[in-house]
Formats: sequence, structure tokens, C-alpha cells
Amino acid sequence: MTRRIARAALAAVALAGGGAGAHEIAPPPAPPAYALPTPGSYELPAISRVPDFTLLDERGAPAPLLGLASDQVAVVSFVYSRCTGGQGCPLALATFQGLDRKLAADPALAGRVRLATVSFDPANDTPERMAALRERLRPAADWRFLTAASPGAIAPVLAAFGQDALPLVDERGAGLGLFRHVLKVFLVDASGAVRNVYSAGFLSPDLLLVDARTVLLESGHRAALAGP
Amino acid sequence: MIRTRSTLAVLGLLAAAAARLAAADETCQSPYLPKLVGQEDFVYVWTLGVDGLGDGSDKLVTIGANPARPDYGKVVSTLSVGGRHEAHHGGFTDDRRALWIGGLDDSAIFVLDVASDPAHPKLVKTIRDFSAKSGGVVGPHTFYALPGRMLITGLSNAKDGGGRTGLVEYSNQGDFIRTIWMPAGAEYGYDARVNADLNRMLTSSFTGRVNYMRPLGELLKDAAAMKNFGNTMVVWDFHTRKPLQTLAVPGAPLEIRWALQPEHHYAFTASALTARLWGVFRTPDGRFEAVDLAPIGDPSKAPLPVDISLSADDRHLFVSTFGDGSVHVFDVSDARQPREVLVQKIGGQLNMVSESWDGRRVYFTSSLLANWDKSGPDGEQFLRAFDWDGKALAPRFAIDFQAERLGRPHIMNFGALGFYQGRVAGGATGAPGGGG
Repeated sequence: MTRRIARAALAAVALAGGGAGAHEIAPPPAPPAYALPTPGSYELPAISRVPDFTLLDERGAPAPLLGLASDQVAVVSFVYSRCTGGQGCPLALATFQGLDRKLAADPALAGRVRLATVSFDPANDTPERMAALRERLRPAADWRFLTAASPGAIAPVLAAFGQDALPLVDERGAGLGLFRHVLKVFLVDASGAVRNVYSAGFLSPDLLLVDARTVLLESGHRAALAGP
Repeated sequence: MIRTRSTLAVLGLLAAAAARLAAADETCQSPYLPKLVGQEDFVYVWTLGVDGLGDGSDKLVTIGANPARPDYGKVVSTLSVGGRHEAHHGGFTDDRRALWIGGLDDSAIFVLDVASDPAHPKLVKTIRDFSAKSGGVVGPHTFYALPGRMLITGLSNAKDGGGRTGLVEYSNQGDFIRTIWMPAGAEYGYDARVNADLNRMLTSSFTGRVNYMRPLGELLKDAAAMKNFGNTMVVWDFHTRKPLQTLAVPGAPLEIRWALQPEHHYAFTASALTARLWGVFRTPDGRFEAVDLAPIGDPSKAPLPVDISLSADDRHLFVSTFGDGSVHVFDVSDARQPREVLVQKIGGQLNMVSESWDGRRVYFTSSLLANWDKSGPDGEQFLRAFDWDGKALAPRFAIDFQAERLGRPHIMNFGALGFYQGRVAGGATGAPGGGG
């Protein structure tokens, strides 16, 4: 327990020292310590349904959040650039980077999995900042960086996905420009059904890809997607 | 303001630790849930209504638990849900913004908003068709947060009221997702706890509605009915929700607590009818074995261990025994060789024991089931709060639920104002980001 408390204190230090626009990226998550299941050997029932939303891409142009063809799935996470929590946004970005590289190396799958990193802090995360993030991460597959025109425009998106994001304040109630949020990553199919939700406890590019293959196998692309 | 020390850390921040936070009370919460690691402001107590006592309804009672606040040791608010449903267990959603509480009798589930005003939770949704939607599961027991959804264990079924039951998943929005029936040979259900690091889930087993709604004295005399209790635990592949192993654990193994420290690949449970402490240990081949570790009290006197709470450092295991109203504290530093280090009488009867994450405070409540609770002098109904220094329990405050005309207190969950107000206290552990 002592070690946990010490780590928590370190986290608080990291919070205090986080600079604006830090866009930290964590080390890539370790592979799971357990054997991955075979794609298609288990079920991922729909948890909820989300509509598509029109957001802004990194050039400031309107862009759909999902925009999926019938044979595609999306992996979506909500982040903000000032986040410095090692198991928060930086972990989400590292996971997506790992996913992106694995997809780029698998042409049969690459066209069927779209990645979307969405800011829930549009007041700070302008399209320019998202472009800078894209430049830093250099996506090799279909990975988009989205924001919204205003906090009011992102609120219904967060509500639809069930993503919390609470602005933090200091002792006097002054805004800190930081958010408390539980990291969630969403696997969404072409019908808008959320098929799995991941958090820090089991966020792994390998597991995400097995789940993506499991969903895609339902839509009849067995030969191409049976996977390793 | 000391109040602002009430902080809630998103322990997902703690890199390697996060995946290993599998269990237990505050220390038994789901690994997918932010943990309250500092001083709690409130204890939420899901309370059975008693005919003629107050409004007679099941209710959530909010108790002030922060000594720096004026409501310390007092009833802050009550929220009646209307009617009596055999109030039993409940748990938070993965973002800790909603508390789901259930009734074992009619399988009603109540979803409370605890985020908007943590001192005054509000009822936002009632699920009355749990049994119909789930295909006949009855008696929603454990409410366990998974990302975006709630895992609910059943105790029984609508067909015969026996112990055959299943695991049911709902979305955080309150919509049914799926039912997974318990496997053949291990049909009974009770608790479910996940070790995310190992991708393993453990489930335990109790008895069906025809037994748990029956007066205990009558049930104990019915030898045929007494055979209808679970004697198994099941090891599951959590991600695929597929059963892997059935373990023999005779005598109704109830609450499950995974160890919390890295490389501690084991869990504890207590068998109610046989009064034994059990360990479930991972073996070198990756499978699990159940080991009978020790008696709890004198099994010949049927002490009936009903709840357990494991400290965050995996050192102390608190076991409450209903029959003699006592808590038994085991030193489980050596998990295979537990040593009983304290036995203390808490009241005439005793059920839930909940420990704070920092291990400094321990809370107890008295009620087990409406028809199993004692009558007469031992039938007192209370919440009692203690300080724990690693050796002794020192009383801090108590709430008499009969004198306050509240009912019979059962499960406890902790709340903190600062978490929902987005406050970051100076030098505190609260921090944004991260997943639970």
C-alpha cells in the first residue's frame, strides 16, 4: 500500500507539472499476460448504440465521427491535449499508435478498421493542435484526429458514448484547464452499435484487434480476416 | 479545509498497478472503477424497510463519515424507493456517477444519481423487468462495474425459485445486454469478481429464492432444503465469458476478494455453512486450485461467516460472522497460512464489513436477510464505525437504525464530495485522466 500511495503522490506531481499542449504519449502497453482468444470464437453483444456526429478534422473541415462503410468498424477514444495522467490520454494515444502500426502491416484489415481520436476539450484543442498531434504521431493507417467547434458541440457526443469529463477546479473554484475522466476506448460497428468498451485494466492493441476481427467476421469477410 | 482532503484518485493512473487492482468495500470495488483512497465523506447504506418503522420502505441512507464535517456520525439524508424488495447489495457504475441497488425478492433494481448531489442521491431509473429481460434470472445480487456496463449476478430463477441462475449484463444506460447461465454442475450463483491482469473471473454460489426468503429457523430444520446450497466456485475466461474450471468449495462460498498486490495471484472466500476460510490459488499451469485454509470461529456452533474484506496491502482479512455478531481478523501475509489475530464482538448480529482503502476505518452493518435476522435483544440493527490501527478496532460512532426508524442496514458504499465537484486538493492524490 505504501508503494501505491507513493505512486499516487507522483501522479499528483505530474498533474501540477503538466504544461499546456503537452500531448504526452505513454510507453506502449505491454502485451496481455494471458492467451488471446481466437477471433470469432466468442460473442460481443451490442452494449449501446451511438449516432454519427459531424465534428471538425485537423484542417477545420466538417468530418463524420464514424463515417463507416458496411464492412468497417471504428475504434474511438476521447482525449485532451493537456492530459498528463500516465494511464489516461497518453496511454490511449500509445495504444492507438500501436494499433495503427499493426493495421498498416495488415492490408486486409487496414481498410476495415478506422481509428478516431476525439478531443473533449475543444476550447483548447483547436484543429491546429489536433494537426500538431497528428504530425507527431504520423499515422500509417486510417487514423483521424477530430475536435469540435465548441464545448457545447462535443457535449452530446460524450453523452451518447457515456464518456465522463469533469473540469477540475482549485480550492477557490478556479478552472485548472484539466479534466477528471475515466479512460474509455469504444469499438463501434457499422450499425453504430458499441460492441466493447475498454479501460486501462485491459487496454491492449492485440486484444482490440482480436475483437475487431470478431465483429468483422460477422459481416462475411472470413477469408481475409481470420487473422493469425 | 480538511474537507478537501476527501479525494478520489483514479488509480488507473498508477501504471502497472492499475491492471492488478482486482478487488475489495473500497478495496473490493471493480478494477474498472476509480477508487476512493482518502477520507470518505459519506457511507451509503442500502437499507431494508420494516413494516411500521418510519415509512416502512427500503431506502438508501446517507451517513456522514468525515470527522471534519458537521454531519459526522449523523444521518445526512434518506431516499425511499417505495415498497420492500429485500434490499441487499449494490454497486457503482464505472465512472462512479451512478449507484445501482437491487432487491432479492422481486428483482427490482434502482439506479441512483450520486454525482449531482452526493449528500442527497436521487432515483433516476427503476428496472422492474430484470427477470423477464434476462430470460428468468431472479435475485440480482452483486453489481459489478465493467467498462460501459454493469455485471449483475443472480441468485435464483423464475421457473422454480431454486439455485440455478446466471450472470446478467446491462449497459450503464440501463438496457439489458445479455444473460450467461451458470454452467452445468455449478448452477448456483452469488458473487463475481474479476482479475483484469489475468483475464479471469471467479464466481461463487449460495441458494435460491425459495430458501433465502424462508425463515431461517424453519429452513435449518428442513434437511432436504438444506441440500439446496451451492458447493462450487467457477473460474471463467473473463473476456470471452466462458467457464474454464469448476472448483469444489462445500458449504456456500459467498463473497470473493482477489488479492491486490502485484504477483499475488489468489483470492479468498468464506463458506457460510461450513465456516471455513478458503483460498483460490493460481497454479504453475495457469489453472486454479481451491484450498481449505482455516476454520472461522467454531464451525460446530454455526457462526455463519457472511462477509469478508481484504486490506489493500493484502495483509489483513476481516471476516464477519452473523451468528455470534463478531469480526475475525486474519493475518493473511502468508496467504496459505492465515493466522487469526483478533476476534471482537461487534453486536448481537453482524453482516457487512467494509474497509477504507487506506485501511484506517472499518464499518459494520447488522442485517443479513429480512427472514434470517434475529429477533429479541440480539436483533439490533446498526451501522458501527471503527478506527483500525493494524491491531485493534476503536469505536468512533454508531447509528441505531431502529431508534432512527430507518430499517435494517445492509451493504455500504463510500462517497466523496470532492470527486464530483472536480476539486483538486493541495498535495492530494486526486488527479485527472486515467481509467479505473
